[in-house]
Amino acid sequence: MIQLKDVSYVRLGSPDLESAENFATTCLGLQIAERGKKDLYLRSDARAHTLCYSEGDPGDQTVGFEVEDEASLQEAASTLESLGHAVHAGSAHEAEQRKVKAFIGFRDPTGNHVELVVRPERSGRRYFASRDAGITGFSHIGLNSTDPGRDERFWTQVCNARVSDRIGDIPLMRVNAIHHTIALVRAPKAGIQHINHQVESSDDVLRSYYFLSGRRVPIVFGPGRHPTSGARFLYFKGPDGMIFEYSVGVDEIEDEATHRPRQFGFEPTSFCMWGAKPAGMALPNN
Amino acid sequence: MNNGRAIPLINSVCYVRLAVGEPGASARFVSDIFGLQRVADLDGEIAFRSDDRFRTVSLGRKAPDGASIGIEVWDDDALKEIGRRLREAGFTAREATADECRRRYVQSALLAADASGNRIDLVVRPTRSGRRYFPARDAGIVEFHGVGLRTTDHARDLAFWRALGAEVSDWVGDIAYLRIDGLHHRVTLYPSKRNGILYAAFEVEALDQIMQNSYFMQESQIRIVQGPGREPASRQMFLHVEGPDGLIFSYVNGMAKLDEKPRLARQFPLTATSLCDWGSESKDVPELGAPA
Repeated sequence: MIQLKDVSYVRLGSPDLESAENFATTCLGLQIAERGKKDLYLRSDARAHTLCYSEGDPGDQTVGFEVEDEASLQEAASTLESLGHAVHAGSAHEAEQRKVKAFIGFRDPTGNHVELVVRPERSGRRYFASRDAGITGFSHIGLNSTDPGRDERFWTQVCNARVSDRIGDIPLMRVNAIHHTIALVRAPKAGIQHINHQVESSDDVLRSYYFLSGRRVPIVFGPGRHPTSGARFLYFKGPDGMIFEYSVGVDEIEDEATHRPRQFGFEPTSFCMWGAKPAGMALPNN
Repeated sequence: MNNGRAIPLINSVCYVRLAVGEPGASARFVSDIFGLQRVADLDGEIAFRSDDRFRTVSLGRKAPDGASIGIEVWDDDALKEIGRRLREAGFTAREATADECRRRYVQSALLAADASGNRIDLVVRPTRSGRRYFPARDAGIVEFHGVGLRTTDHARDLAFWRALGAEVSDWVGDIAYLRIDGLHHRVTLYPSKRNGILYAAFEVEALDQIMQNSYFMQESQIRIVQGPGREPASRQMFLHVEGPDGLIFSYVNGMAKLDEKPRLARQFPLTATSLCDWGSESKDVPELGAPA
C-alpha cells in the first residue's frame, strides 16, 4: 500500500505567465518564491513552493503528494507497475524543477497526472503574502474523475486514502487527519477541478468575496459553508479557467479507527448549508 | 456606566413600535420573511415576539404617537430619577396614562422625546411571556438586540442618553455607539437630515444564520440594504434588509462584550472601512454609508 502523507504542490501549464503572476499576486495573494524564464514558483505557507506555473499547455496539470522516504517511493513504483500503471522515474533535473529530493510520476485511472515526492523543500523564511488574504496554506484539491466509484477504489485501496464523507457517489477523501485532501468530482476528462487554500477566519472569506467581486473576478460558488467538512468557502475563477477556493474551519477526523463516512444526498444543500448556488462551476457529480 | 448608582437606571432596549401605512401587509414581512412570531393585535397594533419577552416589535398605523422605542428602566425609583434628570436637562417627559401603559404592555412609563423628536418610552416591568419563542420561519433569531436611531441634533441627543446612564463605546465620525449593559452597544445614533428609527436589530445564533438569511432574502427578492458585513468597532456581524415602508430590520451576531474596566471611546474616521470590515457598502441609505 502506498502511504500518502500530504498534498505537496500543483503544477499548471499556462500560455501566459505574466497574467498568471498578476492573478496569483494581486488577487489570490500568494508570494512569489522564484521567477524563472519559463516557471513561476508560488508560496502559500512554510513550504518553498506549493504552486508552480510553467509556460505551456493549460491542459498540463499535475498534483504532487508527499511520501515518507525513498524506500516508500521505490515500493510505490513497483506497486503501481504491478497494477499496470506506467511509472516515470523523475530525473535529477526534473526533481530540481520540483524542489524535491526524488519523485515518480504516473496517471490515476481517469488519467490525472500524479507525482509522488520525497523531501519537498521548505523555506527558512516565513510566508509573506503579496496581499492580506489571510492565507495559511495549500490544503487540498478537487480532482476530476470519469468514474468516481472506480477512482475511489484506486485512491483508497492503492494509495491509503480514507473516505471521510460522500455526497451522492462522490467521495471526500483524507490522507491525514484533515477531513479531505482529495475530493473527486465527476467530469468528462482528467484535470484538476479546484485548488484550495486555507485562510485564517470567516472574516477573510467574506473580505475576499467583496475584494474579488470589486475586481470583477468571477465568483463561481459562495460565500458558503460545506455541511460535510464544516468549512466556510469561496470559489472563484483564475487564469485558464482554473477554480481556486479559499476556506476555513475544515474539520479534522478525531478518531481515525472508528470514523464512519456519512452519506449526503446529491442536492444543493449538501454542498452549501447557507444557500449559495454554484454559478459557472460544475458541482461534483453533475 | 451607572452614574454613581449601585444599580443601573436602565438595562435594555425592550421594544420598537413602528408606524406603517398598512400594518397587515407589513406584518406578513415581519413574520413570514423576517421570522418574528406574531402574537397579538391590540387596538390596531400588531405585536411580535423575538425572545422570551411578550413582544419586542409592534406595528401600528401612522399616527402622532405611532412610533417609539422602549427602554427598560430598573424600577419606579429609577424612573423618578430619570424624570428628574431629563427635566433638569431641558427634555420633556410625562407619565404615561393607564391606557398608554396597557398598549405598551408595561406597568408604568415615562413618555419622553430626545432633541431630534424621537419618541423614547422609559418603561418599568415590560411584560414577559411564559411560553418560549416559536417563530413561523427558522431565521435563527434568539433576541431583540437594539436599535439604530437617526439624530438631527447630535449633541443634545447624546445628552439625553447620558442622562439615562448610557455611555459612548466608540465613534465612527459622529456616529455614536452607546452602551447600556455589558455589550459594546445597544443603541447607535446616526447623524441624519431627519429623525426616526433607522433599524431594529435582532441577534441570531451565529454567522451561519446571517448568511442563510442573506441567501433567503436574495431568493425572496427582498432588498438587502447592506451586508453581510462586520462592524470593525464592535465586531458585530450584520445584515440590514428593507421591509415595507422603508423599515430596516437587521440580523446581527458576534458583538464584543466589554468588561467593567473604564475604557476610552475610540474614534474611527467616517470611511467605508470603519463601517464594514468585510467591504460591504450601503448605496441607498445615507446614514449607513460614508462619503466616497
